[in-house]
Amino acid sequence: MIARATAIAGIGATEFAKDSGRSELRLAVEAVRAALDDAGLQPSDVDGLTTFTMDDNAEIAVAREIGAGELTFLSRIGYGGGAACAVVQQAVLAVATGIASTVVCYRALNERSGRRFGQATTPPGLDASWHYPMGLATPAAMVAMVARRYMHDYGATTDDLGRVSVAARRYAATNPAAWFYRRPITLDDHRASRWIAEPLRLLDCCQESDGAVALVITSAERARDLRRPPAVICAAAQGSGTDQFVMTSYYRDDVAALPEMGVVARQLWGQSGFTPGDVRTAVLYDHFTPYVLMQLEELGFCGRGEARHLIADDRLPINPNGGQLGEAYIHGMNGIAEAVRQVRGTAVNQIPGDGPVLVTAGTGVPTSGLILSGA
Amino acid sequence: MIAEAAERIAALGLSPARLARDPVNLPAIRDWLAAIGDDNPVYERDGLAPPAMAQVWTMRGLRARPDADPLHEMSAVLDAAGYTSVVATDCAQTYHRYLRVGEVVAVRGRLLDVAGPKRTALGEGWFVNTESIWEVAGEPVAEMRFRILKFRPGATPPASPAEPIRPVVGLDTAFFWAGLEAGELRIQSCGDCGALRHPPGPACPRCGALKPSYVVAAGTGRIHSYVVHRHPPLPGRRSPVVVALVDLDEGVRMVGELRGVRPDEVRIGGEVRACIVDGLPAWTPAGLADLPPWELAVTPTVIVSTALATRDFQDVHHDRDAAVRRGSRDIFLNILTTTGLVQRYVTDWAGPAAVLRGIEIRLGAPCYPYDTLTFTGQARGRDVAVTGRTGTGEHVAGTVRMAS
Repeated sequence: MIARATAIAGIGATEFAKDSGRSELRLAVEAVRAALDDAGLQPSDVDGLTTFTMDDNAEIAVAREIGAGELTFLSRIGYGGGAACAVVQQAVLAVATGIASTVVCYRALNERSGRRFGQATTPPGLDASWHYPMGLATPAAMVAMVARRYMHDYGATTDDLGRVSVAARRYAATNPAAWFYRRPITLDDHRASRWIAEPLRLLDCCQESDGAVALVITSAERARDLRRPPAVICAAAQGSGTDQFVMTSYYRDDVAALPEMGVVARQLWGQSGFTPGDVRTAVLYDHFTPYVLMQLEELGFCGRGEARHLIADDRLPINPNGGQLGEAYIHGMNGIAEAVRQVRGTAVNQIPGDGPVLVTAGTGVPTSGLILSGA
Repeated sequence: MIAEAAERIAALGLSPARLARDPVNLPAIRDWLAAIGDDNPVYERDGLAPPAMAQVWTMRGLRARPDADPLHEMSAVLDAAGYTSVVATDCAQTYHRYLRVGEVVAVRGRLLDVAGPKRTALGEGWFVNTESIWEVAGEPVAEMRFRILKFRPGATPPASPAEPIRPVVGLDTAFFWAGLEAGELRIQSCGDCGALRHPPGPACPRCGALKPSYVVAAGTGRIHSYVVHRHPPLPGRRSPVVVALVDLDEGVRMVGELRGVRPDEVRIGGEVRACIVDGLPAWTPAGLADLPPWELAVTPTVIVSTALATRDFQDVHHDRDAAVRRGSRDIFLNILTTTGLVQRYVTDWAGPAAVLRGIEIRLGAPCYPYDTLTFTGQARGRDVAVTGRTGTGEHVAGTVRMAS
C-alpha cells in the first residue's frame, strides 16, 4: 500500500510569465532549487527525478545543473498534462518501495514564448490523422466537440462554462503570483469574449504561460523531520478509459464523459478512505472550463450533468489559486503546489478546515490525481 | 491617424447619389454576357440586365473623376499611408429586382468600418467595409456589402500559404485513404467476426483476429456533435471550419468537415451525407442536390475581357507588369467577374427562368491566367452553396439565393 507512506516535503516555482527570457532548463533549475530549499534539503539528497515526456529538459541535465550526484530513479509519464499527478505517483512508488529516498518532480516550459500548444501544427502519429486534417487541430477544438455534446445531453449552457471562468479569475484576482492578479472578470466579460471553437470562447480556455514548478517527495516519516509540515500523499492514482484517445475519445458510447477520471476517482477514494464529502477544496485541472464540470461529476461530487448547479451555488471551493485559467498554465504542476499550500495552511486564498485536498491532472487524456492531507 | 480618418468618414453616413454615366444598355450587357460566357437568353429577350452587373453600371470608368465617395476617400487615406495595393475579399449583393434597359442607376455609399493593421499573406494591410445602395429614381434596386484589403506590398513576393495538414498513412490505415482516392468511404471490418470499427487498427478488439478487412459505407449518418473552429487559423484553411462527429448508419463514428451549411444551422441529430474533399472524408447536410461541376480554363483573355466588360480598369486585371509591381504573381480575376461567374454557374443549372435575390461571396486564393477554375455547388431549397477552386486552393466560396 502506498497510502500515507510518502509526502510532499517541498514546493518551488519560478515566477509565472509570458516571456521568461530564460531557457527551460534554467527555469527547471530555479524551480528545483527552490523546492529543495523549501524542504530544507540539498541537491546531494536527490536520488530520483521524474517529469513529463513533453518536458524538454533531460533528467540528467537537471541533475548536472543542480549539482545532484548519483540517481537511482529516472522516469517520465506521457499524455501531456495528464501526467501531472502521475509523475508524483512515480515518485511515490519509488520512495515507498525503497528505490529512491528523495525524488524531485519537475515541469519547466516556455509555453507562451516558445512552442504554443494552442496553435494548429502538424502532429506526429496515426491517431491524429482522424482529426487534425479535418479541422480538429487544436486542443480547444477537440474539447469543444465533447463540450457541445455535454451541453446537448444535460442542458448546460455557455453561461455555465462562464461561471467556472469567473470563479477562477475571482481567486486569481487576490493571488499575487497569478498572471491575472487584480483582474477579475464578470459573466458579461465571458459572454463578450470571442469564439475560439464554438461552443468555447476565449475565456473558456486557460492561459499560456512560461514558468516551472518542482515538488520534493520523500517518505512521510522523514518529511515530518524536515523544514515544512508535510503534505501527506493519501492517494495517488493514474487512469485511462476504455477506447481511450488523446483529446479525441469520440468513439465510446458516451462522448460527454471523462471515464479516465472515473478510473482515477475510484482509486483515490479507495486508497485514502475519504469520500467526496470530506474534501475541503479541489484543485481541478482547468485547461478548458467544460472539463471542470465533467471532472466534478466523475469524481463523485455530484451526479452526471449536475456540476453546473454545484458551481452556481458555490458549494465546493475549486482552484483557490485561480487555476490555470487565472494563475498560470504550468501543465497542472502549479495546482499540486497549491494543494500543498492549502494543506500547510499557507495559501493566499486559504480555505478553512482540515479536510483533505484533492488535485487532478489534465483530462481528455490518460489522467491522474492525488489526495493530500496534513500529517 | 487611419482610425481617426475612418471614424470621420464613417460618420458622414450615406453619400449623395451619384448617377451612372450611361443608362443600362444592351451593348454593355452583350459584352458582359460574352466575356462571362453566359448564354442565358432572358436578358436580351426581355431587356433585363444580369443581376451580377449591378455594380458595373456605376463603375467610374478609365478616367475617374475624383468626387466625394466614402470608399475613395478612405482609399486615398490608406494610399497616403503606404497601403497602396488593393484586393477585394468579400461581396454580398442583394437584388430587389432586375434592372431594365434604359434605366439610369444612381449609387449611394457609406463607409462601415476599417480594421487594422493586420498581417496577411499579402502583407500588412487594413480591411475596409463599405455598403452601397443602387437606386432608380429613388427606388432601391440593389444593395451590396463590400470588403477590400488595402495592403502594403511586401518587398519580397508573398509567402505561399501554409500547406493544409495531411494525414499520416500507415500500414494499418492505408486501406482507408486508398478508399477515399477510389471514391469510397471504407469502414474497417474484422475478417473473422465481422465487427466494424473506426478508427481502424491491426487487431480486432472484439475477437482478437489479425485479419482486417473493410466494408464500404453507405455514406449516410447523423451528427453526434460538432465544432465551429474559428481561432487560431488552420494551415491552408479559412475559418470558420465546421467539423462534425457523425454516427454513420453502419454504427461507427467518424470525424469530417461539414460543408454546405452555415455554422448557425448545424444541429445535433441532423442527417448528413458523406462526400470526399481533397482526399478527406467530409459531410454535407442530407437533402442537398449536387450541381454538376463546371471547369473554366482561365486564359489571359478571360481575365482581361471580363475586367473590361465589368468596367473595372484597375491595372492589376490587365497589366501583368503592374500586377507584379503591386505584389501579385500575375494579373488576376476581379471580384465583379467572380460574382458574374457564380451567377452564371447557378443559372446555367437552374435554367433561364431562375431569378436571383442575392449573391454572397468570399474570395480566397487569387485566380491567375492558366488556372483551371472548377465550380461545384449544392442546392438546398432556394439556396445554392457554390465553391470555386483553382489548383492552389479555394478561390471563392459563397451562397446564391434564388427567388421562390
